[in-house]
Amino acid sequence: MKKMLFTLLIASLLLAACAAPTQTGTETTGGGGEAGAPVEITFMMWGAPEEQVVWGEVVHDFHAANPNINVKIEVSDWDSYWTKLNTLVAGGTPPDVFAMDAPLYLDWQSRGALLNLQPYLDKNPDMLTDVYPQTLTAYKLGDGYYGLPRDFQTIVVFYNKDMFDTAGVPYPSEDWTYDDLKETAKKLTLDTNGDGKTDQYGLWTDTWDMELFWSETIWAYGGNIISDDHTKTLIGEPDARKAWEYIDGLYKDGIMPMPATAGEYGDDLFQAKVAAMTTIGHWAVPGYVQAGINIGIAPMPTGSAGRATSVNSAGFVLSKDSKNPDAAFEFVKFAISPAGQKRLAQLGFAIPILKSVATSDDYLKQPGDLDQQVFLSALDYSHTKPVFRGYEEWSSAVGDGLAPVWDGEADLDPTLDEVVKAADDILAQNK
Amino acid sequence: MEYGLKPLGQEKTWLWALLLPTLIGLLFGTIGSLLATLLLSFFDWDLITPATFAGLSNYLALFQNAKYLDAFSNTILFTAMYVPLVVVISLFLAVMLNRRIFARGFFRTVYFLPTVTSAVATALVWNMIYGRDTGLLNFVLERVGIHGVCWLCTNNAMLAVVIVNVWGAIGEGMIIFLAGLTAIPRDYYEAATVDGANEPQQFFRITLPLLTPSILFQILISAINAFQAYDYIYMLTRRSGGDSSVPVAVFSIYRNAFHFFKMGDASAQAIQLAVLVAVFMLVLFWWERHFVVYE
Repeated sequence: MKKMLFTLLIASLLLAACAAPTQTGTETTGGGGEAGAPVEITFMMWGAPEEQVVWGEVVHDFHAANPNINVKIEVSDWDSYWTKLNTLVAGGTPPDVFAMDAPLYLDWQSRGALLNLQPYLDKNPDMLTDVYPQTLTAYKLGDGYYGLPRDFQTIVVFYNKDMFDTAGVPYPSEDWTYDDLKETAKKLTLDTNGDGKTDQYGLWTDTWDMELFWSETIWAYGGNIISDDHTKTLIGEPDARKAWEYIDGLYKDGIMPMPATAGEYGDDLFQAKVAAMTTIGHWAVPGYVQAGINIGIAPMPTGSAGRATSVNSAGFVLSKDSKNPDAAFEFVKFAISPAGQKRLAQLGFAIPILKSVATSDDYLKQPGDLDQQVFLSALDYSHTKPVFRGYEEWSSAVGDGLAPVWDGEADLDPTLDEVVKAADDILAQNK
Repeated sequence: MEYGLKPLGQEKTWLWALLLPTLIGLLFGTIGSLLATLLLSFFDWDLITPATFAGLSNYLALFQNAKYLDAFSNTILFTAMYVPLVVVISLFLAVMLNRRIFARGFFRTVYFLPTVTSAVATALVWNMIYGRDTGLLNFVLERVGIHGVCWLCTNNAMLAVVIVNVWGAIGEGMIIFLAGLTAIPRDYYEAATVDGANEPQQFFRITLPLLTPSILFQILISAINAFQAYDYIYMLTRRSGGDSSVPVAVFSIYRNAFHFFKMGDASAQAIQLAVLVAVFMLVLFWWERHFVVYE
């Protein structure tokens, strides 16, 4: 009997431990709300501590304009955010407003977790007239919007001017090509102390997720990511394959450090001043400015089918079960109003979705003295980062599947064939 | 094997009163979540829409899910390497440090240090050791003429994480074995010496048999740790997007439950892992009956 109890004890301990890394979030309050009485809404988002400060200011401004609505703000880091959100939604106590990353939007919308905002938009017909239309694409569905963008990110090339000057390499031109990128990166890949190992890489970027490099390259070579009906993965088609071969070449030639090597220098080699160029979005600017890098900005290069970049927008959604949807919508409306967007521009992480704010000094005159216009012009040749059900699992199949190729442990073509098959299986499960 | 004092009269009331908080926690927190997991494993649930009954399909899907099979076999492989290494090395250390050697307390502390250090912090240090270009290990290897490898790439990462986990666990094992060693009466060794037994004979005929309870305990604890191993492994092998180059079963459970909207599949994976551990435990208890020596 004793022994059996012990077995049961150990078994249950184990199972509890299996569920250990889940970090259940519990803090939340519903907020009653009779007519006219003050109501409380909860607003959850992911973000860095600096973002929490600025969003705290947005909330403060909002409360000053709407004294009847109290906003309770909760900020978590990216990973815990989704775990917490999932738990709250599953427990039937979702936050009223929460942040959404566009690629994951359909996963939430199609499961009926989100409120259709169209009735509110019909009452506020001018709300979206000043918004960049490219940022709305991801959220627009047949029967209206179930979410609205709050900011957007286009991917551009960042380069370290000091490294270019030292090596005597001219800065990237407006009309450069992928071959130029490779040549430039080659000249900037240096073994400065002569020990036979690279000390400075020409280029570093992330090739796990599509957003920073590989989707742009595939589009520029005339390929595509996924079919319009979200049933077929297209990254193994001939045009896309040319882009993969290009990326494989960057690793094989040693211009770009392999992902396993990159880990040695921390999360960002450009910030660590080990790489001369990177492709990333505006969110990296505050960190790079703080690291004291003399940054230059250039558009993505052109490939055989022209120039392409990715645009992605983080946004807001309302929970379908929100008890105070009107108050929650008022908050969203405020956050994407000129007043809210100006605060956001000052934060320096993201690009405002309102044309009037993005083209004003609030956005254009930021620390670091960058050519902010490059980020805005990128919209003209941008593709929306794909939004489909099963996005995260699909991304994991592709990113994880191809990682051994970039680490030089597997061959591109057979691995890509396997990856496409696994990715298609996931799409089939998520119809 | 019943021993200890039996509670009498009023003591019984107090006994239950004092045990109650723990029992409630166990009942609702542990056994409750165990049963909930079991129940969920028969449903399809994405956390948002209501769960639908799925019969055994989540269990059948386990065998077709290449990523899970990969994670599951990683856990088995990890356990198969980790448990024997931890038991043998910590036993060896305990025997060595049980002698009257120079600076014994210092060495005991040194081997125990990893146990009390934050896993995240030590994993960062190990990252620097394992680095391919700038890592300490490859630097040392190259000094003695061996060409360095990429320790944390897919091919070597398993070995690399086993080394770190073993390094982190031997301190705890050493303490268990030291306690076991101290409990062996000195007379046995004196008698053996008088009879002319040499040191290896004494080790295999006296020390090892009398340590079998500690060894059993240590195998049990190491195996449980191995099946749940997560922190060092994730910190050393994480990729962008929250991925890992050595996904283990616990990692797969977490990803499926909270990132892939597949609570049912995750529950089935958790149950399968629990069943595996239960089977392992039964084998151990069988082993206990035949090999463990109680004084």
